[in-house]
Amino acid sequence: MPVVEIEGLTKSYRVYQKNEGLLAAVRGLFHRQYRTVDAVRGIDLTVEQGEFVAFLGPNGAGKTTTLKLLSGVIHPSGGTAHVMGYVPWKREHAYRRRFALVMGQKNQLWWDLPAQESFRLHQQIYRIDATDFDRTRDELTELLQVRQLLGRPVRELSLGERMKMELIAALLHSPEVLFLDEPTIGLDVVAQHNIQQFLKHYQEVRQITILLTSHYMKDVAALCRRAVIIAQGRIMYDGSLAGIVDRFSGHKVVTLAFADDAELPNLARFGTVVEARAPKVKLRVDRPKVAEMLAAVLSQHVVSDVSVEDPPLEEVIADMFQSAEASLATADA
Amino acid sequence: MQPNYFAVFREFARNSLVREMTFRGNFILDCISSLSWVFMQLGLYLVIFEHTNQLGDGTGWSRWPFFVFLATTLFVNSLVQFFFMTNMEELSDLIRTGNLDFALLKPIDTQFLLSMRKFEWSSLANLVFAAILLGVALTHLDFTPTPLQMLLYVFYVMCGVALLYSLMIGLGSISVWLGRNESLYDFWFYITNFSRYPMEIYSGPFGTPLRLAFTFAVPILLVANVPARLMAWPLASQDWRLAAYAAVASIVALVASRKVFYKALDAYRSASS
Repeated sequence: MPVVEIEGLTKSYRVYQKNEGLLAAVRGLFHRQYRTVDAVRGIDLTVEQGEFVAFLGPNGAGKTTTLKLLSGVIHPSGGTAHVMGYVPWKREHAYRRRFALVMGQKNQLWWDLPAQESFRLHQQIYRIDATDFDRTRDELTELLQVRQLLGRPVRELSLGERMKMELIAALLHSPEVLFLDEPTIGLDVVAQHNIQQFLKHYQEVRQITILLTSHYMKDVAALCRRAVIIAQGRIMYDGSLAGIVDRFSGHKVVTLAFADDAELPNLARFGTVVEARAPKVKLRVDRPKVAEMLAAVLSQHVVSDVSVEDPPLEEVIADMFQSAEASLATADA
Repeated sequence: MQPNYFAVFREFARNSLVREMTFRGNFILDCISSLSWVFMQLGLYLVIFEHTNQLGDGTGWSRWPFFVFLATTLFVNSLVQFFFMTNMEELSDLIRTGNLDFALLKPIDTQFLLSMRKFEWSSLANLVFAAILLGVALTHLDFTPTPLQMLLYVFYVMCGVALLYSLMIGLGSISVWLGRNESLYDFWFYITNFSRYPMEIYSGPFGTPLRLAFTFAVPILLVANVPARLMAWPLASQDWRLAAYAAVASIVALVASRKVFYKALDAYRSASS
C-alpha cells in the first residue's frame, strides 16, 4: 500500500492586491482588491514506502505548500490526500506521532537554550521511552558529529550546526515519513555534503519514506532516484532523474577539438554554436542529427577529440520552468 | 497514547526557568519593575484612603476590605502573567511569521502547547507580595477563613484567571484572520483595567451600563470581585447568585474561546518559507 496518496490536491489563497504609493494604500483601507493565487493546482501523486523523492521547482511552484498540506499545517481548497492512511489536515495525534517536517528556513528549537533541553521537551511531547530516547539521541549526535555541541545555546551555533540539531529534534521520535523543506539552504558546501551523507545513510538504514524539496541539484542527485518536478502548482514530470534529460532535452552538447587550429570550420548549419575558441568548438545539436553531423565533420576535418554529452540537468530544468511559465501565461491570457 | 501533559508542563516550567536564569540581570530587572508597579498601586490607594474612608458611600469597601480586593487582583494578574502573558504576546507573531507550523505538528493539544510554552517566573514576585498583602489585610479585619472558604477563594481566583485567559486567547486567535494583530492585544489591557475595581463603583447613568456590560457581555468584573468578596466579608445571599454565575461564566468563556481558537487554526494559512 502506498504511504502517500494524493489526488487532485489544490490550494488557493486570496491575497490583498497592494498598489504602490501612499494614495493607493489609503484607498486600500476602504476598497480592497483581492486576487486568487493558485499555489497548488490539482496534484496527483503516489509514493511507496521507502522511497526518497525530490520535489523540484522554482520559487513559488507549490513545493512547500504541498509539504505543508501533507503535514496538516494548512487545509486544502480541494482534492484528497492520505499519508499512512491518515488525512493530514485532521491533525490526529496518531498521525503527528509518525511523521516529521524539517524546514530549512525556520527553527523550532528554543533559541536561548542548549538543544538538549529542546530534545528533552520532545521526549515528553512524543512520550519517548527514556532508553529509546538516549539511544536515538546518542546515535544521531554521533552520526552528525555534534555531541560536543549539545550543551551550547542554540543561538551560539552556526547555521549548519543548527540545522543538524533541527534534524535530530525531528528524528528523535523515529518518524516513518519525513518531509524536508530545503534542509541545506544557506549552508556551505561542506555542511551541505555532511547533511546529504547523513540523510542518505539514515534513509538507507531505516528505509523511511522521505519527500525532499531543494534548489540544489547536488542534494537531489546525491539522494533521490525519483524526481517530481512542480511548476506553477502542477506536476510537470514524475520519474527518474536521468529521464528528465531524455524527455525534456531535445539536444546534445557536442564538443570538438580540431587538430588544425588555424581556422575553425563553420558548423552553424548543424546546430547552435555555444562557444568557439580555437581549437575547440562547442555546439548544441538536435539529437537525431548528432550522428549525421559527426560523420560529416569527421570526414572533412582532422579532429583530435570529440565529446557528446547531455546538457546539464540544471539547464534542462530551467528551460522547462521557463516554458511552463510561458505556457501558463498564454493560457491565462 | 495520550501525551503526559504534566511531564510536558514540568519541562516547560523548567526550560523557562533555565532561560530566565541565563539572563540573570534581565530577570532581576523584571522582578523589580513589576514589584515597583505593585508598590505604586498600593501607594496610590494608601493616598486615596487618606482622603476617604470608603470607595463609594455604603459600598463597604473601606481600607482593609479593599486591600483584600487589591491582593486578589494581584493574585489573578500575576497568575495570568506567570502562565500565559508571554505566550499570548507571542501568538500573534507566530501566526504572522508562520512559526505556528511547528506547534501544529506536535502530537499534543495545540492550545495547551501554545498557552503554556513559556512561564514568566519573575511575576511570582507579585504573587508573594499579594499573599503578604492578603495576610495583613485579613489580620486587620480580624477574619480567619475556614478551610472551605480558602478552597472557594482559590477556586474563584482560578475562575478569574480562566476568564482573563479566555479573553486573551480569543483576541489573540483573531490574528489568523487579520494577519497582523497588535491592537487587539492592547485592547485586552484596556478592557481588563475595569476589572481592577469593585463593581459597586459602577453605578449611576454611566456606571450601570458599564457594570452590566462587564458582568454579562464580557464578564471581567467577576474576575476579582467574586473571590475578593469571599474574604472581605461573609457572603450575602445575593452574592451566592453572583458566585454561581461566575463559575458558569468561566466555563462558558473557556469553551467559547477554545472554539474560536480551533476555528482560527483551521483558517491558518502559514507564511511562505
